[in-house]
Amino acid sequence: MKKLFTAAVAAAAAIALAGCGGGGGATDPSNVSPTGEVKPREISWLLSRPADGAVINIMKKLADDYAKDHPGFSLNLITTPDRPSYIQKLETLAAANKLPELFDTDATPFAQQLAKQGKMVDAEKLLKSLDVYDNYRPSALDYQRFDDGSLNMIPFQFELEFIWYNKALLQKAGVSAPKSLDDIPAMCTALRDAGITPIAIDGQDQWPLERYVAYQPFREAGPEFIQKLKKGEAKFTDPAGKKTVEWLAALGKAKCFQDGFSSQGYSDAQNQFTSGQAAMYNIGTWELPSLATDKLNPAVRDDIDFFTLPTTDGSVTAANEFVSPSGIGMAVNAKTYDPLVSDFLKFALTKYPTEYAATGALSPTTNVETAVPANATPLYKKALDMANDLGDKQAMPWDTQLDPTTNGRLQQELVLLVQGNITPEQFTSTMDSTIAQNAPKFFK
Amino acid sequence: MLPNRSRLSVLVFLLPPLLLYGIAVLFPILQSLFLSFFSWNGISDMEFVGLANYVRMLTADDIFWRSFFNALGYLAICLVLQLGGALLVASLLTSMRRGRELIKTLYLLPAVISTVAIAFLFVRIYSIEPVGLLNQLLHWIGLGALERPWLSDINTVLAAVSAPEGWRFTGLYMLIIYAALLSVPQELEEAARLDGASRWQLFTKIRFPHIMPVWITTTIMATTYGLRGFDIPYLMTNGGPGQSSELLTTYMYKTAFTSTDFGYASTIAVFIVIECLVAVGLILFVLKRKADA
Repeated sequence: MKKLFTAAVAAAAAIALAGCGGGGGATDPSNVSPTGEVKPREISWLLSRPADGAVINIMKKLADDYAKDHPGFSLNLITTPDRPSYIQKLETLAAANKLPELFDTDATPFAQQLAKQGKMVDAEKLLKSLDVYDNYRPSALDYQRFDDGSLNMIPFQFELEFIWYNKALLQKAGVSAPKSLDDIPAMCTALRDAGITPIAIDGQDQWPLERYVAYQPFREAGPEFIQKLKKGEAKFTDPAGKKTVEWLAALGKAKCFQDGFSSQGYSDAQNQFTSGQAAMYNIGTWELPSLATDKLNPAVRDDIDFFTLPTTDGSVTAANEFVSPSGIGMAVNAKTYDPLVSDFLKFALTKYPTEYAATGALSPTTNVETAVPANATPLYKKALDMANDLGDKQAMPWDTQLDPTTNGRLQQELVLLVQGNITPEQFTSTMDSTIAQNAPKFFK
Repeated sequence: MLPNRSRLSVLVFLLPPLLLYGIAVLFPILQSLFLSFFSWNGISDMEFVGLANYVRMLTADDIFWRSFFNALGYLAICLVLQLGGALLVASLLTSMRRGRELIKTLYLLPAVISTVAIAFLFVRIYSIEPVGLLNQLLHWIGLGALERPWLSDINTVLAAVSAPEGWRFTGLYMLIIYAALLSVPQELEEAARLDGASRWQLFTKIRFPHIMPVWITTTIMATTYGLRGFDIPYLMTNGGPGQSSELLTTYMYKTAFTSTDFGYASTIAVFIVIECLVAVGLILFVLKRKADA
């Protein structure tokens, strides 16, 4: 009979593991300057960043430098680059009350609950007490803030998201870069007629398609729309919601995305663009090393350019306001926050920006200049310069805003909508009722 | 009746595995049952909601029913491929004179490939941009009209994610059934042949009844494996597009670890336990009755 239970056991065991939680730290999250002696020990950072990426390499080096003066100190970096797996790990550890000293999270509703329970140190006070707060780009910090303006995460990156395009392919189809978001469906039709895949998208990871649903409402109603929508105070039946649903259906109808996009991954999509098969590709400055250096396929190198998120007629946000995320942020566990953690953060956060900017990436602070790599194409500098002229508002990725159940359902329904498997009306009614059912639990 | 000393020794030897079984299997099931009466997201306070989770599951959750029927479809495809395929290949093997070992090994090979590798392999096979093996084959044999993104088409995706699981274990069940077929007494078959029985009659009247006990066991194994199917669909499509390849197991996993709705996920877990019990009960009932008849 043992076999009978196998299916259930995997589930039950996992849930049982998650169940051994309860209780919480009773420390004061606003006390950012703990008193006492700095006692070196090992601290851990649970993070979701590329294993050999700049952030990890620099923090490793800084930790080694710090350990020279503080024997016994070490920084244990536990990374899970795959975001969905990471989020599951984080949520399970949070449930078990086993979060390490430092952990990564976006400003999600789940993170807000942790913050409300006093499990995360007040990052605004922390940064001010370390005297680095004013160095940060306001939009880098704003990206990390919860809706109530509170700041509990520290950014380590600053990225700008553009729509990269292949000039030669657009020319071949007789179209030019879109002036308005509403031009894109017609563009896709023209590109398809010329035998070109209009947009390469990583459908497997789901967040890339979810970016598209955010664009029209951001132009039509500003950043407030998603803040209201997620609480059920705005609906997809509102003008901004209606517009985005219809626009996405139009994108699908014009076959904007490559065939079978929903099962294609990150590198599949990028390869389609860099091999000159797809005309457009929506991605951020973290891909500058592959899109704006001599690593890029020489056959398309001279044809690649980018434009920022197009505006629309009557747009309430400006052309220099678009998606400019400062990446997943780092939260400081209030329960384990002590003089050592505070001292190490002071050391690391003051030295980090210089080191990070030297790698050719945009620092979340403004006190350093990003070094353009020697093998860069002119596009690299052009992309970096965009960071100097940003508006006050930014389009938030919806996956960091919605409650997890609604987010999961939205990702699923978006694929169906774009593939033409459901009508805009079905999409709207499913999503509005999903939000109505799930939002109240998270946004009490 | 065992003498006292040996009864004690039986107990001593049985206790550790029983304890282990209790801790690893029964306790989590009971804990799931307990959690299924609560609303709990892991970090909030647990709130007792009585049967609300069950009511929601059975009456108000369209994804639950969708994934339940998907799971049945997945099971059916797996069973046909695994048991049907295994029986066919095993029967053919018994009539082969040469190369049996080679065929056996070839069929068994997929069972030793890791799941993740199989999932990635089949994502490539089903792909349309760049053209994968399946679409290429269809093109070559003149069935170009059937070319499609198998994993993105809501009508084909369930079959597409079930096939790798079926393909993977066909060899294993083939081996078991083949061993059973070898044990069919030769003299019985010969006698039947002398009486003028056809190959089909030989199979239905002599061979199949003889391997019935093994067939029941294999069916139970394949069914429970099919009902707990998770990894390949999860890796290949993550339940998508939409909910087209969502199974109860993947839905439960997402509910627990993405939506952090541990109470409701436990409710689904309890349902899976019951579903497995019912499935095995049904198999035993049907096959036993058939065997007795």
